[in-house]
This record gives sequence, C-alpha cells and structure tokens, in this order.
Amino acid sequence: MAQWSEPIIELSHVSASSGGFEILRDADASFYAGEITVVMGSAGAGKSTLLKAAAGLVVPDAGTVKFFGKSIASFNRKEELEFRRRTSYVFQDAALWANTSILGNLTLPLSVHCAWMNATEMERAARVVAEKVGYLESLSMRPAELSIGEQKLISLARALVTDPELVFMDDPTSHLDEDAVDRVFGILGELKMRDRTVIMVTNNSDIAFRHADRLGIVRDGVIPILGPYDEIVNNEAHEFVGIVSRLKIRGERTRGEKTSKETEQ
Amino acid sequence: MIRFLTNIGAAAIEKIRNLLYGLGFFFNVLKETTTFFRKRQVGFKVLVMQLLFTGFEALKISAVMALAIGAAINVIGSSFLPQFGQSKLMYSILIVIITRELGPLLTAFIVIARSGTAIATELGTMVVDHEIEAYLSVGINPIAYLVVPRFLGVVLSMGILSVYFNLFGLLGSYIIVQVIKPLNFQEYFGNLLTILSVGDVVSGLVKALVFGVIISVVSTFQGFSVARASTEIPVAGIKAVGQSFILCIIADVAITLVQYA
Repeated sequence: MAQWSEPIIELSHVSASSGGFEILRDADASFYAGEITVVMGSAGAGKSTLLKAAAGLVVPDAGTVKFFGKSIASFNRKEELEFRRRTSYVFQDAALWANTSILGNLTLPLSVHCAWMNATEMERAARVVAEKVGYLESLSMRPAELSIGEQKLISLARALVTDPELVFMDDPTSHLDEDAVDRVFGILGELKMRDRTVIMVTNNSDIAFRHADRLGIVRDGVIPILGPYDEIVNNEAHEFVGIVSRLKIRGERTRGEKTSKETEQ
Repeated sequence: MIRFLTNIGAAAIEKIRNLLYGLGFFFNVLKETTTFFRKRQVGFKVLVMQLLFTGFEALKISAVMALAIGAAINVIGSSFLPQFGQSKLMYSILIVIITRELGPLLTAFIVIARSGTAIATELGTMVVDHEIEAYLSVGINPIAYLVVPRFLGVVLSMGILSVYFNLFGLLGSYIIVQVIKPLNFQEYFGNLLTILSVGDVVSGLVKALVFGVIISVVSTFQGFSVARASTEIPVAGIKAVGQSFILCIIADVAITLVQYA
C-alpha cells in the first residue's frame, strides 16, 4: 500500500446536489495509487455521486477534486483527454451506447485513446477483453439484445479495454450471477497485482472483505469513515457502524482467498 | 402582492438564465463546429447518418408536399389573375412564394416534425440512460461528437431540401399548367428563369440555412435539458417542436423585413 504517497484522487470539501437536493455535503476523501478502495453505504447515501464527483462526471457545487494534485476543474482539453485516457468508469446501470454494437462500444474508447491501432487490432483487443469478463456471445449484437448482467460485463470490458491506471466502479457486481461475480473478483485481483487503482462503491460486503485495501463509509452525504481496511474494521470506535460490524464478524482475512467457485471445485 | 411580484421576478430570472444558458450552448456548438473538420473525428459517421435521416429520407414527403403546393398556387392564381388581366404575374408569384417563402418554411416544418423531435428524444434518452456520462468518461466531448454532426447534418439537409422543394414546387405547378393551359416545357421554365433572380435563390437559401441552425440547436439543447426521468423525454420533444416553429417564423419575418424594408 502506498497511502503515504500523494493521493491519485483527492476530494476537498466537495458538495454536490441533484434536482435541488444536496447529495454530498463537504466531503473530504483521498484515494491512493495501487490500492483498491471500497466505499460502502446505504442506498441514497451519496455513493454514486461521490464516485461521479471523483471521476469528474458531476460538477461539484463547492470544493475541489484533484488528480495527482491538480484540480480537474482547471484541466484544459489536452489535460482532460489525458485524464480520461488514464481513467475509466464502470456505470451502475451499464450505460452502454444503444446506437452501436457491442464491438462499437468496446472499440470507441480505443479509437479515442489508441489512434495508432487499426480496425483489426481494435477488434482483436475488444474480443480479448470481452472474453476476459466472460462475454462469449457475438460482438455484433446491440446492447438492447443483452441481459442486464451481460450489459454490466460489457460495461466492465469497456472500462478495461484501454488498460487504464485508475478504474472507477459503481456497484460492479449488481445484476451478475455468481460465476460472473467470481470473474469480477478475479479481475480485481489481477488489477491489484498490476498495481492498478480501483475506487469502487458497492453494497457487496464480500468485495470489501476480499479485496479492499481501504474502506470508506458514506452516510447522509458525508464520509465519516475512510482509511485502511484493517484499521477501520479493528477500530472499536467503529463497531457501532453496521457495515463495519458485519465485516468484523467475518473475521481475519487472508489475501488471495479462493472464490466460491474455486472452493466448490 | 409581494409574493406575486416575487414569483414573477423569479420566473423572469429563470427565463433569462435559460436564455443565457441557451446562448452559451449555441456558441459552444459554433466553437466545436469550427474544429470539427480539422480534428481526427469519430463523429463523421454520426454526420453521415444525420444527412441520411434528415435529408435523404425526407425527400419523398418533401416532393409530395412541394408538388401539391406548387399545383395549388397555380390553380388559385389561374382563377384570380386573369380577372385583372395579370396572368403573366403567375411566374413572379410562383417564384416569390415557393422560392422565397414556402420552400424554406415548409421544408423547416418537415424537418422539425421528423428530425427535431427525433433529435430531442434521442438525446434525452441518452441522458436518462447515462450514455452522455459514458461519452464523457472516455474523453469524448458530447457537443463535438453528438451535437456538431447533428447541427451540420440538419443545416446541410435544410439547404439541399429547400432547393429540392423549389424544383418540385415549380414542377408541380407545371403539371397543373398542362391541365389548364398546355404550355411547352421550355417556354414555362424559360419564363420562370427570366423572372428568377440571384436574390430569390440566395434569400431562400439563407432562410433555409438559418432555419437549419435554429432547428438543430433548439432540438439538441432540449434533448440535453432532460435531467433524470424518462417522463421528461416527450416534454423535451414537444418543447423542441414548439420553440423551433416559433423561432423559425420569427426568423422568417426578420429576414423578409431585412430584404424588403
């Protein structure tokens, strides 16, 4: 863990609202390179807004979001493009582009950030990443022809196709069957091994238990708890927090635990 | 009373804010348009699709409407003008009404009904489904990728459709002439071309292009104004149609005043 180095993403006093309602209130958070940070909280607590603010997809009403110490609001077009090349986002509801095929969804980020690749190379890269997430159907299908679970897998593949340094994930395991969840766990393990950074919001405590280097809790638009997983879970002051107590009950964790599928085998 | 005035004031401020936001959106579209052809673009496919949908696919309905209007003008003119011994005025009336007025205006109405609603609802759906955020997340500027191709597609289509409408309008008139008083094709179009001036063509084209700008900007703006709910999408479509109609008519009057005043 590199928590003493400069944060890759830093939120300072960020407030954000939607439809006249304040969702985030004066939120502070730091996320570090090479770590998997899992942010949990009840529905409507502001997790997705926090993630979108961190990814520059929601413009905060107040406060700053910095990427390696520079405010993303001050980025010029070139810097913004570089930020987008180094990051990617997995949306809660997949958010695939309906007007193009699965192949189009997977190759569009490549055509923006990997201009040197020709169409054949892009298609090959798309096939590799689709197989990696477990999508084995035709790439010529449209998103509307897929189940929501398959759409989530393609959304994950789209986020991984450019091999970004930082991946924002909004509830990546929702709507997925157990096999697919195991594959997501495998991908998280691989990202961790390759020193990639993941900032994820989820309600799946299994992900936090297995993969979180840092754990955050969002409650009513603020982030009262954010720190190294073991420190948070073993801190008696946090025992009253339901999520933390449930994680503590699961006991000591050993890294690289087998997935449920592997255990069955 | 104070509450009433406060509400009026708040509504006025909101209107002004929306107007300024709309103007900012328009200038952003113009700015991105200037760089559209210089950049390595992934938006060319969207431009081609927009030209096909707004331009090519509207040819049929445009032709039918133009033939009908041209014929109607000729029937009405042929029954009135001889009473005043002004039969020759028919050609001037045809040129003025079809080329300068109805050509661009009816073409605009066709494009509003077909493409204006389609653009607003399509973009609104993309907003609700978070597709716009997905474009942002991969570094694609939605204005450059989604709005500029639609803007160019609608403006170019309006220009082409307007010329096409004029041709079919005058052809429709010719067909009716054959029923009422058969005329040689060359004589009929020779008379028309004698009266037709560069000013008539330019005037119609300017109007068509201005209407194209209005329709594309209003429709894309209304599409992006959808915030969260799918129930907002049809509202955006209705607003796009209503505002485009009104602004096109205002622009038509303004351009006509400039030309004739």
